[in-house]
Amino acid sequence: MPVTLETPQTRDARRASRRWGARHLIAAGLGVAGIIALIALRATTAESGPAGLPDAAQDLITLSTSVIIESLPFIVLGIALSILVQVWIPEAWLLRILPRNAWGRRAVISLFGMFLPVCECGNVPLARGLVRRGFTVPESMVFLLAAPILNPVTILTTHAAFGFDDGILVARLLGGFLIANLLGWLFSLHPEPESLLTGRFAAECRIEDGHRHGTRAEQTVDLFVRESSILMPALVIGALVAGGIQTVVPRDVLVALGSDPLFSVLAMMALAFVISVCSNVDAFFILPFASTFLPGSIVAFLVFGPIIDIKMLALMRTTYSARTLLRVTLIVALLSAVLGLVVNYVV
Amino acid sequence: MWSSVQRWRGVALIGAVSAVALWLAASGQLVLYIHPRYIVFTVVMAAIALVLVVAAVASAASRRASGDDVPPSRRERALGLSAAAIAGAFVIGMLVLPPATLSTATAQQRQINATAADLETLDAASEADDKTVARFTVREWSGILRQTSDLAFFADKPVTDLVGFVAPDPDDPENVFYVSRFVITCCAVDAQPLGVPVHLPSWQDRYAVDSWVSVTGEFGANPSSSSAQPVVVLPDTVEAVEQPSEPYLF
Repeated sequence: MPVTLETPQTRDARRASRRWGARHLIAAGLGVAGIIALIALRATTAESGPAGLPDAAQDLITLSTSVIIESLPFIVLGIALSILVQVWIPEAWLLRILPRNAWGRRAVISLFGMFLPVCECGNVPLARGLVRRGFTVPESMVFLLAAPILNPVTILTTHAAFGFDDGILVARLLGGFLIANLLGWLFSLHPEPESLLTGRFAAECRIEDGHRHGTRAEQTVDLFVRESSILMPALVIGALVAGGIQTVVPRDVLVALGSDPLFSVLAMMALAFVISVCSNVDAFFILPFASTFLPGSIVAFLVFGPIIDIKMLALMRTTYSARTLLRVTLIVALLSAVLGLVVNYVV
Repeated sequence: MWSSVQRWRGVALIGAVSAVALWLAASGQLVLYIHPRYIVFTVVMAAIALVLVVAAVASAASRRASGDDVPPSRRERALGLSAAAIAGAFVIGMLVLPPATLSTATAQQRQINATAADLETLDAASEADDKTVARFTVREWSGILRQTSDLAFFADKPVTDLVGFVAPDPDDPENVFYVSRFVITCCAVDAQPLGVPVHLPSWQDRYAVDSWVSVTGEFGANPSSSSAQPVVVLPDTVEAVEQPSEPYLF
């Protein structure tokens, strides 16, 4: 990559160009006009009546749109918190509260979700921010895996849906914590943790080491542009695939397996994988199934779903290599299945 | 070309999706996609996104040539461009296709009444007075029907103005249809179809599948021999109605 050396002249030129001027106002005006044009386009096309698509195609569009609309606010929140962590919070803050010892560090990191309450899709930009901020790759994974489960919103909704019945809430929280820490430990044994990342993201992190440029406002906008350009295509494609699979795979195939101790666990994990619903609300989603499915399978759904599903894999692929994700998926699937079976047979 | 697609695709996508979300909220159609409790959160976050989009466009006026992007390999570039193209095409679809509810295709695929209702409905219903019974929606009736087929239970409980869309009973599509609604806990993705069977021979001549109807009548034993439903509504009147502004039940 070309390294631009800064001379006094270029620095002056850059500073001059950074000053807020008429050009910026015009550009901002164009941006506003563009947004108004989009809304106007949407308002006029809405009158055109039904599009005449076949039902299945129309439902695919409705389902995918609903995944995107549902995830959008969480993605924005995630990007905003990620900007906060990277640009506005002094580096020392985050690193100071962490214990020195590796297990302790990971344990504390897995509780970060308690005060950064984003669900799984918002976690990806945040985890990327943590890696840029000098956290190790396994530590970023611990956060990514634990935070969607160990966060106040998820705990509240799970409690609202299940109370303390059948140990579902406790198993979900403990299970999420243990799986995240175990996985973090496994990956910390990796000799070259940087190779777990995609080449692109690893390179970005190397470049950012050391120098940052621009004012904080500029960094904020830059980060927003970069994070959205990486996450939004992944989100849309993940939503399309999730919507497509839902219009094709009949639901009753999964439901038929509900009362077998082993198959119910596997079926619920398959459902969690396909449905890609947010961890903040998945408890409500699964509640109607609770009377046909065994508690262990509900726990497997609630632990596996927030960590691994179609939409999440698309989003995580922006950061981690395909091989890493395959390993993560296998390990998490195995551990959630074990957890589900333990609950089914023991509780 | 690559670098501007790379830089602007996210801003364009997030701007367009946020604009669509705000318009849906303004026109009261956000409930076609998500549960009402997320509307405020979604609107606030979409507004924040749009402010950042405008800031990003404004800052482009003084942007120095970006020196810190890693040059991608050919494969990465092709992958990135096609991902951006697919995502762009879909978001254009979100901008121009009229918003729609889920149809019977999904109701069939998810199997009407596949999930269990909670057991409290039956107890509550057996004690409910006439006024409450008259307000029962597809959700209450389908929950009751799953738990009992005792005709005595339904004796003094008529169905009044039960609104839903028409979905054929897969076992006896000629004579029986479901008055159906989707129930949503979070967003349209988790929609569960619920339905109350209605016995009305050759209903297809008068009501299209997916059209909305309002049914009044009494419950009775199912005259159909092939339908799996023991108890159905024997309708006094079936009226075609407009789709309600909140087509889903929450």
